[in-house]
Amino acid sequence: MSDNDAMTDAPEDVRMMDYFMHLEYHELVCPIVLTYAAALMEGKLLGQISPSSGLVYVPPRSYDPVACEWLGDDHLVELKDRGVVTNFTIVTPVQYYGQEKTEPFAKASIMLDDPGGMLSLQDILEIPPDEVRVGMRVEAVWFPEGERNIDEIGNRSWGSAAGCIAGWRPTGEPDLPADTFVGKVY
Amino acid sequence: MCSTPAVADRPISTHVIEFPYTRTLGPVVGPFLTGLRDGTIRGIRSRDGRVLVPPTEWDPNTGEPLDPSDLVEVGPAGVVESWAWVTEPTGKHPLQAPFAFALVTLDGADTAMVHAVDAGSIDEMSTGMRVIARWKEERIGHITDFVFVPEAGK
Repeated sequence: MSDNDAMTDAPEDVRMMDYFMHLEYHELVCPIVLTYAAALMEGKLLGQISPSSGLVYVPPRSYDPVACEWLGDDHLVELKDRGVVTNFTIVTPVQYYGQEKTEPFAKASIMLDDPGGMLSLQDILEIPPDEVRVGMRVEAVWFPEGERNIDEIGNRSWGSAAGCIAGWRPTGEPDLPADTFVGKVY
Repeated sequence: MCSTPAVADRPISTHVIEFPYTRTLGPVVGPFLTGLRDGTIRGIRSRDGRVLVPPTEWDPNTGEPLDPSDLVEVGPAGVVESWAWVTEPTGKHPLQAPFAFALVTLDGADTAMVHAVDAGSIDEMSTGMRVIARWKEERIGHITDFVFVPEAGK
């Protein structure tokens, strides 16, 4: 008897099994991430600026991995919620388990205006994904106060503002030429 | 450590990584799980005449393929060969109250299978005790379609 025989004999036989490997872990959130999350709830983006490298880290991570130096509260800086798309990808959703989207969507990296900072994997709103372009000026669309949450923020969700920022919409300003941000992206 | 009122009540973050596999079961494990869905436990007769539970596609001694027509019904009661008490079950354990994982040799079987025994108390557990399958009302063809309970207290 083979698989095929089993199938024709009794089509209702159990032939497949869902096997969900599931890892759940809990960790204490870094103090600096809590500070960042609290600011997000108030509609503010916080980063840390490194005096050595001049790089701005958002979310702040209390160290500068380029200069190998600790950063502290003294290095916290409020960031702009406007910036420029430096990179993007268009995702065509495949309906695998857990995928809720059905239509193509764009995820973009956004370099914030001075003092800087990079957010990655951001949603671009209000325009179809094929109109997203490098150099496009965008601004944050915040969820209204009272509708924000920080449920997805943890120590490793770098670049995450999900739960507080719905996405980014074009400002209509002229595009920035690439040479204004080449070399600043990290 | 946290002085930020808005998030002071949630200094722990929870992360979940899930890999959703769907596996084909093949000509032996498929009928085994089909049997569980239908409320029966099946083993398979190996080349040397022993009944292996759970059934395997291959003879563990020789590696030769076994014949799905040699599937035989066993149990639903058997003997506890060995056991360990789980005092604090996690959400992924088959039972949410303290229970035993046990090696159970079902009647008609020559090998023991690992499964949960819902004994209620560690004092009810002993090597050599008899247990019997308690079936879920809604079964899907999965090993969790049943757990063992002490036969006397069925």
